[in-house]
Amino acid sequence: MIHPVDTILSLVLLSILFSFGSSRLSPLIKMLAFQGIVVCVVPLFVGQVMSGGNIAFTLVTLAIRGIIIPGWIYLAIRKVAIQRAVEPIVGFHASIFCGLLLIVGATLAGNYFETAYREVSDLLLPTAIALLGGGMFLLMARRNAIAMVLGYMMMENGIYLAGTTFSLRARHIVEFGILLDILAGVMIMAVILQNMKQTFDDVDTARLRTLKE
Amino acid sequence: MLEIVFLIPLVAGAMAFLLPSAGRILLVLTGVVHLAYSLFIWIAEPTPHFPDFFALTPEGCLSLLVISLLFFLISIYTSTYLKAASIQRENIFTGSMLLFLATMTMVTLSDHIIIMWIAIEATTLASAPLIYTHRDAAALEATWKYVLICSVGIAMALLGSVLVTVAMDAGHVQAPISFSALTSVADKLDPRWLKAGFVFILVGYGTKMGLAPMHTWLPDAHSEAPSPASALLSGVLLNCAYLGIFKTNKIMHAAGLSGFSGPILIVFGLASILAAATFILKQTEYKRMLAYSSIENMGIIALGTGIGGMAAYGAIICLIHHSLIKSSLFLTSGNILMGFGSRLIEKTGDLAARMPRTFVAFFGGFAAIAGFPPFGIFIGEVLIVIAAFRTGHLISGGIFIFTLCVIFAGLANNIMRISFNPSGATERIDEHANLVWPQYVLLTTSVVLCFWMPESLQQTIVHAVNAIGGGL
Repeated sequence: MIHPVDTILSLVLLSILFSFGSSRLSPLIKMLAFQGIVVCVVPLFVGQVMSGGNIAFTLVTLAIRGIIIPGWIYLAIRKVAIQRAVEPIVGFHASIFCGLLLIVGATLAGNYFETAYREVSDLLLPTAIALLGGGMFLLMARRNAIAMVLGYMMMENGIYLAGTTFSLRARHIVEFGILLDILAGVMIMAVILQNMKQTFDDVDTARLRTLKE
Repeated sequence: MLEIVFLIPLVAGAMAFLLPSAGRILLVLTGVVHLAYSLFIWIAEPTPHFPDFFALTPEGCLSLLVISLLFFLISIYTSTYLKAASIQRENIFTGSMLLFLATMTMVTLSDHIIIMWIAIEATTLASAPLIYTHRDAAALEATWKYVLICSVGIAMALLGSVLVTVAMDAGHVQAPISFSALTSVADKLDPRWLKAGFVFILVGYGTKMGLAPMHTWLPDAHSEAPSPASALLSGVLLNCAYLGIFKTNKIMHAAGLSGFSGPILIVFGLASILAAATFILKQTEYKRMLAYSSIENMGIIALGTGIGGMAAYGAIICLIHHSLIKSSLFLTSGNILMGFGSRLIEKTGDLAARMPRTFVAFFGGFAAIAGFPPFGIFIGEVLIVIAAFRTGHLISGGIFIFTLCVIFAGLANNIMRISFNPSGATERIDEHANLVWPQYVLLTTSVVLCFWMPESLQQTIVHAVNAIGGGL
């Protein structure tokens, strides 16, 4: 029987494809919020005891990853009010194809490693690798600074999922520290985005090329 | 309580944000208190309140003392610098400087592998506003690159840290996730996952340390930040990132995997020195030139750590002296920038006649960083060269010597142009004493440490180096 966690994770894999093919930013943010919520909830179903403390912690991380961070980026976009779409370095159709290859590669790589939660979920590690690779791809293949920030967030989601086993070892305070760091990081990126818009009247990173050798 | 040492600048930083008029006083005051408390830690070795997360290690203690001394001197320079330089929203600058100190201090005391990550990521966040101080297009670009490249790099380090915990699972090890605990049970960790973790941590913290090819943010950030911030970035931040790599390398050494980590460190080290040599030769801006020199020195430190033995000792010597000398050079570059109003080498000249006191600090700093005796960098580099040839790293040693010569030529050419080329004007430029003597103190400390090193300092270096198989 397919474990419910695998069902949700397969949706996450689909969301990666969707975000690769999306030329508009608001669906991309929604996909990211969905991924953020899933990676927060999954640890509860793979090994963690469903105690009051764990549920409360999950709710807080869910609020930060799934609501506050995507909401902040959404507000940043509205403030900078993008007038025109920035051409990506890799086209959207080619991106979807790359996404398919990425998912196949991640599944093969994920099956190669033996992890503690293999018996619970087959898709845990492949999804983590795909999110990590997907985030890196967005960072490299997009010139739009907002899409790049979203790529960074996708990467962080992948690492968080890969660290599901570690979440059992570390105290919540440590995980919370990581979350706060990421939250502050995204806020600083959002501030830079607003200043970029003010300075260049755009968020196209191709304009950032005065400093080079 | 050990943790007070990073809580002091944290509180002071918050106050500086809220009280714009008190920023300069808070900066100097915190510098004094921080230095005093660091000396107390050095002598009394207080226990941490949270032993699961923090610990006093020889390498951490050493870094803490260097950070504290540097910040104290930089704070005095900054208080005068802020009067002369026009900086908008000074409270953000002073507050960020103090928060930056707090996060870097936290790095030196972190023992928990994830707390270390949190602290290093926090240094990025605290220092980003410093790079954006001038609020122009170039500063924006430098800040964007810095935040994005370092955040992605640090994310790699987080993945590396996660893989180390997977190595614990695979080896069925029950221990706290701290560097000291992992070092003591290193032989039981699964070597495959540990190796993977090390590579990711090296790439991650290596990005922050400025190792090539992940160094691209460094010249931009160092050149765009105001000079006191550049001095902190180069003199202290890079050391903090190295500390993360050093501690992980300690685990690798204890696990008997130094044969794996050593060559990787050597490759990254040589790549950084080569990259620096290439770009220093054609450099047109003096602050960028100093930034590339930092990349070179970080490469030297990685190379020394990778070779091990006597070279590891040389690497730590280079680490300490690079902090002292490079922060002095960046502070001096601030004087040149204020005097000539340009970062371009061709827009400067005749420094010896027009700013003689700054010239002494600048030329002294050049002699020290280029590896002239009696400065410490010379001793460190000689130790690394001897160790490289003794251990059979002939090609690495050869490349190292060749690139050192190239870098020396590049640096000397530019420094001579700044110091002696006619600048088209002859009048003296005003030099405030507070903008010069901190550099003199830093350079003098570097010279004194070469001839006389306190026994406790010597022992601390030996202890730190022994853990990675080094020593004289």
